[in-house]
Amino acid sequence: MTTVLAGLSVGAVYALVALGYNIVYTGSGTLNFAHANLMMLGIFLAYWGLVQLNWMIIPVLVTAFAIVALAAVAEERIAIRPVRHIQGQLVTMVGAATLITGIIEIVWGQQALSVPAFFNNAPTHVLGGAVLPDDLVLIGLAVVLTAAIALVSRFTMVGLTALAVSEDRESAQLRGINVRRMQFGVFALSGAIAGVVGPFLGPLTFASYTLPSSLAVIGFVALALGGYGSFVATSAAAFAIGVVQQYISRYLGADYENLVIFAILVIVLMVVPNGLAGVRRERTV
Amino acid sequence: MAVVLALLPWLGVGIYWNQEIVQTISLALLASGLSLSFGFAGELALGQVAIYAVGAYVSGYLALNVTPDVFVSLLAAVAAALVIGLISGYPGLRLGGWALAMTSFFLVLLVPDLVNIFQQYTNGPIGLVGIPPLTLFGVPLDANQYYLFAVVIGALWFVVFRNLVTSRHGKALLVLRRSPVLASSLGIGVRPLKLKAYALGAVPCGIAGVLTANLNHFVTPANPGPFTITTAIAVLAASVLGGSTSVYGTLAGAAVLQLGPLRLTSFNLYTDAVDGASLIVFGLLLSDGLSGVCTRLLARWARRRGGDGGGPVAEASRQPLTGTLSGATLEIDSVFKRFGGNAALSGVSLTAQPGKVTALIGPNGSGKTTLLNIVSGFYRLDQGRITLDGGSLSGRAPHRVAASGVARTFQTPSIPKGLTVAETVATGRYATTYTGMPTSVFRLPRHWRNERADRDAAARALAVTGISHLGGADAESQPLGIRRLIEVARLVAADPKLVLFDEIASGLDDAEVADLSEVVRELADAGGTVILVEHNFGLVLDVADEIYVLANGAVVASGPPAEIRSHPAVLREYLGVSAEALEAVPGKTTTEPSS
Repeated sequence: MTTVLAGLSVGAVYALVALGYNIVYTGSGTLNFAHANLMMLGIFLAYWGLVQLNWMIIPVLVTAFAIVALAAVAEERIAIRPVRHIQGQLVTMVGAATLITGIIEIVWGQQALSVPAFFNNAPTHVLGGAVLPDDLVLIGLAVVLTAAIALVSRFTMVGLTALAVSEDRESAQLRGINVRRMQFGVFALSGAIAGVVGPFLGPLTFASYTLPSSLAVIGFVALALGGYGSFVATSAAAFAIGVVQQYISRYLGADYENLVIFAILVIVLMVVPNGLAGVRRERTV
Repeated sequence: MAVVLALLPWLGVGIYWNQEIVQTISLALLASGLSLSFGFAGELALGQVAIYAVGAYVSGYLALNVTPDVFVSLLAAVAAALVIGLISGYPGLRLGGWALAMTSFFLVLLVPDLVNIFQQYTNGPIGLVGIPPLTLFGVPLDANQYYLFAVVIGALWFVVFRNLVTSRHGKALLVLRRSPVLASSLGIGVRPLKLKAYALGAVPCGIAGVLTANLNHFVTPANPGPFTITTAIAVLAASVLGGSTSVYGTLAGAAVLQLGPLRLTSFNLYTDAVDGASLIVFGLLLSDGLSGVCTRLLARWARRRGGDGGGPVAEASRQPLTGTLSGATLEIDSVFKRFGGNAALSGVSLTAQPGKVTALIGPNGSGKTTLLNIVSGFYRLDQGRITLDGGSLSGRAPHRVAASGVARTFQTPSIPKGLTVAETVATGRYATTYTGMPTSVFRLPRHWRNERADRDAAARALAVTGISHLGGADAESQPLGIRRLIEVARLVAADPKLVLFDEIASGLDDAEVADLSEVVRELADAGGTVILVEHNFGLVLDVADEIYVLANGAVVASGPPAEIRSHPAVLREYLGVSAEALEAVPGKTTTEPSS
C-alpha cells in the first residue's frame, strides 16, 4: 500500500501537468509544451517566497498565481499567437519552454533546492500504508482540480465554448466565439493553476531545473493514454502511470521506470491513437 | 572552405580552436540529421541526440575492447545509427506533429537509463574513459591529424547531404512535406520515403558520435554533457537558425551556436536561456533561417544591379504538344462504393480508350470525384473491377497506381513549398524515370542522364501549357490560374498513359480555358487516355469524344457530345434546361450552379 500511495503522489504531479495540457488544448487546440516548465517556475517561486523571503503561505500563493499566469500569457502572446503553422509552433513552444528553464537557471542556479513541507515530516498511516501528509494533500488537490475543471467544461457556457473551439476553430469563430480571447484565457487559467500548485508540489519534487523535461513527456503519456480533451480519463491515466512506475522501480529497478513508460507510450500511440477514452484525433492526416 | 578549415592547425591555430571546430562539425552533423526529418519530411523528430550517444558508445567501446581503427569505428557507428534510426523512425510513420516530437524527445531522456542498464558495455555513470586515439592503417592519429580527419569526414557527409537534397529525392521530400496525398499521386511511396529519411538522418548523428567520443577520449552520460536535452535543443536551434531546408544554412547555424559570442563568454548557465530565446526569435522572424535571409538579400542585390532578376518577363505563348504517349485502356466494371450509409457509387461502368477524351459530368455529389479517387487508389472500392490495359488497379496503393502511368490533378491545386515552377513540374517524373538514392548521392552517370531528361521534359511541359516564362519563379506563390496550369504541366511532364483531370477549368478565365482545352485535346491526340471531370459544359462539348453523365452514383447516359447535348435525361436531370433553350444559344458555356 505504501508503494501505491507513493505512486499516487507521483501520479498527482503528472495529473497536474496533463491537466494543464488539457485545459489549453480544449480552449485553443494547441499542446502547451512549456506547461511543465511553468509548473517548475511555480515551485521555484514557492521556494523564493517561503525560504528566501520567509513569507507566509498565502502571499506566496498569490504571488505564484499572478507571476506564473503572467508568464503563461506572455508565452501565448509572444510564442504562440503570431505563429500559425504547427511546425512553427513546435519550434517556438520548445523555445518558450527552454527559455523559462534558462531564466530559472540564471535566477536560482543549477542546484536542486528543497521546498519546505507544510506539515511536519512524519508519515501518517492511511489504508495500511505510510504516506506524508503533504503527499495526501497533493493527491487530493489533483483530484479536486480535475473534477472541477471537468465539471466546468461540461456544464458551463465558458466550458462548452472552449470545447467548441477545440472541435473546430473556424466554425467556432463563425458562431461568434472570440477564439483569441478564449486562447488567451485558457493560457492564463492553466498558468494560474500551475502557479498555485507550486508550493504543494515543491516538497515532493524539489525545485529542479532538469525536472520539467521528464514531467513534460510523462504528462504527455498520460494525455495520450487518456485522450486529448478528456480530463477525468487523463488524470486517471496519470495516477496509473505513477503507480506503475513505483512498482517497476521497486521490482525491476529505477533504470527501467522510464523505459517501460516509453514502451507503453509507443504501443498506445500505435494501437489506439485516440487514447483509451479519447474523443477525437489531434489531427487528421 | 573545407580546405581552409582543414589547414588551420598548420597555420598556427591552437588546440582550443581545434576542439571548438570539431564540436561545431558535430553539431552541424546532428542538425543536418534533424533537417532531413524536419525541413524535408516535415516532421519534428528530436531523437538525434540518442543516436549520437549510440555512435559515441559504439566507437568508444570498439576502440577500448576491439580495435581503434578509424574505418571500423565509423562503419560500426553508422551501422548502429542506421538500425536505431530505422527502429525509432518506425513509429514516426504513423505519428506526426506533437506525438512524434514527444516520443523522440522521450528517447533522449532514456539515454542515461539505457547506459545504466547496459552497464557492462558502457561502464554506467562513470562512462568510458581512456579511449585510445583512433588509428588510420595502424598509425595513431595525433591531435592535428584527428582534426583533419574530422574536417574531411564532416565535409564528405555534407557533400552526400547536398547531393541528396538537391536531387529528386530532396524534392520528393518537399512534396511529402506539402501533402502525403500529392506525394503518392506522383508515385512517391510515402512510408518508404519517410523511413529512408529517418534512417539517413541517423547517419550523421552516428558519425558525430564517433567524432565526439574520440575528441576528448571519453564518453560519459553525465549532465551537463553532450547527450542531454540541452544538446537536443541546441540541435533544433542550429537547424532552425540556419534554415532547415538549406545545406549551408545548417553549417552556418551550427557555427553561430557553437562559436557565437554568448557561448564563449558564459559557458553553461546561460545556454538554455539563449537557446530558448533564439528558438522563439528565429521561429518567429526567419521562416527559412539564415539561408532565406541570404537568398533574399542576393535577389535584391541582383535586381538592383542588373534589373534582369525582377521585372516582368514577356509572357510566352503556348506551344503545341509534340511526341507521342502510349495510352492504355481504362475499364471500370460495375464499381460500388459506400461511405457509411451513403452510396456514392452504385454499379458504375465505363471505358476510356487511348487517343480519346472521356468526360465525366454530373451534379455535385454524383460521384465523379469519388470515381477518380478510386481509380487513383485513394479510396478502396467495395465491389467491382478496375483494369488498365488488362492489369488490375483495384486495391493498389496510390503510389503504385501512379507508377503504372496514371497522372492526375486536384480540385484545389497542390503545390509544394520551396520549389520553382520548373522544379515542381519536374517532380511529376518521379515515377517516370527511376533514380535510386545511391545513384543521386554519388552522382553516377544515370543521375545526370535522368536529371537532364527531367529538365527537358519539364521545359517542354511548360511550353505546352504556355508558362515557360515562369519556370524560375516560386511555384507556391503563383495565383490560382497559374497553379492549375502548373499542375497540368506536372502531369504532361510525366508522359502518362492515363490522365485524370479533376475540374481543371474552375477558377480560370476564358483565355486560360481555351488554352487548356487545347492541351487536353493534344494529350489525347498524342495517344494518351484522358478522363476529364468537369462542370464547364462548353469545355466538355468542345473536347470530349465520349461523355458519361453521372447522377446519384450511377451512369444515366453516355455517348458522343452531339448525342449528349440533346439527350432528354441529361437536359432534365443535370442541366435543368429544356432542349430549345440550349439550341437557342449554340456554343454558349453552360455552367451548373454551384452549391
